Amino acid sequence: MQASAGAIQLSTFDLAMATILVLVAGLVSLALRLQLEKRLALAALRTVVQLLLIGYVLKAVFGWGSLLAVSILAAVMIVAASRAAVQRSNRSIPGVTWLAFGTLVIVGLVTTLTVTTLVISVTPWYQPRYFIPLLGMVLGNSLTGISLCLDTLLETLAERRAEVEMELSLGATRWEAARTPLREAVRRGMIPIINAMMVVGIVSLPGMMTGQILAGADPLAAVKYQVVIMFMIAAATSLGCIGTALLVYRRLFNEKHQLRAELIVRREN
Amino acid sequence: MTSSTPQTSTPVLRLRGVAVAAAGRSLLRAIELNLGVGERVALRGPSGCGKTTLLRTINGLIDPEAGEIELAGKCPSDMKYPCYRRRTILVEQRPVLRAGTVRDNLLRPFLYKTATDTFSADHAIEILALLGLNDHYLDQEASSLSQGEQQRVCLARALLLTPQVLLLDEPTSALDEDAVQAVERIVTEETEHRGLAALIVTHNREQSDRWCHRTLHLEPHLVTRQFGLKNEAGDASHPPQSAFSRNKPLESGEREETS
Repeated sequence: MQASAGAIQLSTFDLAMATILVLVAGLVSLALRLQLEKRLALAALRTVVQLLLIGYVLKAVFGWGSLLAVSILAAVMIVAASRAAVQRSNRSIPGVTWLAFGTLVIVGLVTTLTVTTLVISVTPWYQPRYFIPLLGMVLGNSLTGISLCLDTLLETLAERRAEVEMELSLGATRWEAARTPLREAVRRGMIPIINAMMVVGIVSLPGMMTGQILAGADPLAAVKYQVVIMFMIAAATSLGCIGTALLVYRRLFNEKHQLRAELIVRREN
Repeated sequence: MTSSTPQTSTPVLRLRGVAVAAAGRSLLRAIELNLGVGERVALRGPSGCGKTTLLRTINGLIDPEAGEIELAGKCPSDMKYPCYRRRTILVEQRPVLRAGTVRDNLLRPFLYKTATDTFSADHAIEILALLGLNDHYLDQEASSLSQGEQQRVCLARALLLTPQVLLLDEPTSALDEDAVQAVERIVTEETEHRGLAALIVTHNREQSDRWCHRTLHLEPHLVTRQFGLKNEAGDASHPPQSAFSRNKPLESGEREETS
């Protein structure tokens, strides 16, 4: 799929022209007194700086192509993803970032490796040109699912604590008492990816596919990749949600089949 | 204290030096209690002193801060906690029912792994009837019932499970007079005929006098005092009886109920 020959290379001048688009957004903000100009400018600046930085990092890592470099980059990505996954929920429990980290390490590596080794069959399996972008997509999507799942689960257990404890008090095991909240949380976490799979190609073209097409790839080749990506994301999201839900369950229900609701704290936003 | 226990058989529920806390705050300390087979004991004390927390602790939903709780000579960790809880059913003051019909709610505990017998609709109808709820209630949505009806459904759900100990947290707080009598009668019958032991939180002294064999007074942070029922009724000329003295309230209780 080396189609970059067909791609039009952008010059610095081209990028400067694109800035006009952000300026339009800034003018709207000024005209309507949305007071978003400063934040917009900052956001635009961050976009350029962060992407440039990652561009250089990727270029360097692709250049080295060593397992160590790939591992370090992957670790940084997973840490960032686990922080992002837990920061959006309204409630929290101690050690929740570690819990998300553990889930993302396993789910991210398993799904990405499945794709690089069994589906695309790249050699070596950690070839950064494939491994890093794929891992990025897995993490980016499963963190959304994990975040929703976590939020729903903690919210349900805090709000419906009486119902869960009622079941426990009548002799339910912790699993029997937790099953309904767990199921609802996993369900909630998986809805976005299922919705996305339902409308993909009808409402919008996925970013990866768009990128490939803009870069000159044959649309059908891009579609094949996109199918693989969607399936990979679906697997990662469902496994991520289940993993997170089970780890939260293990943490909040002890071996005496008690719900330790006091561990759930409201996050200061 | 346990030496002065009048019960002939071993107590079904025994609390030794139990201290309870909620949200990290110590509420009650050094609670001693021997609950005999077929005995009804009232729990009284000021609001917020920890009566509800004590019942939750006995049910094993939270751990005691100190002390030991035994059911028929075994501590909860000896049997499995879900099995223990099933034999010490807690009926909370605020009724908690799941979405679904009354039947769904009554049936559900029989689907748990700890279930030892199967759900009998006839038995359910019988108990509901004794609580003043006719058989139409079985197929009503639980959420459509009044607070008082829900409270009685929760009690029916507990009785259907035939526990050894019933922990009742203000079981008649949302009930009219007829329903109060029905609840008192059915619990009394269960204790007398089946040997059920009941620990009943109430704020109503008249109720505890007519319904319970004795009263356990709870005071925050103090070693709890125990008086027999008659002392508690305020007859100052009598010296305090020894702890765990057992009164004979049944006659008066029955008179109250049948009158």
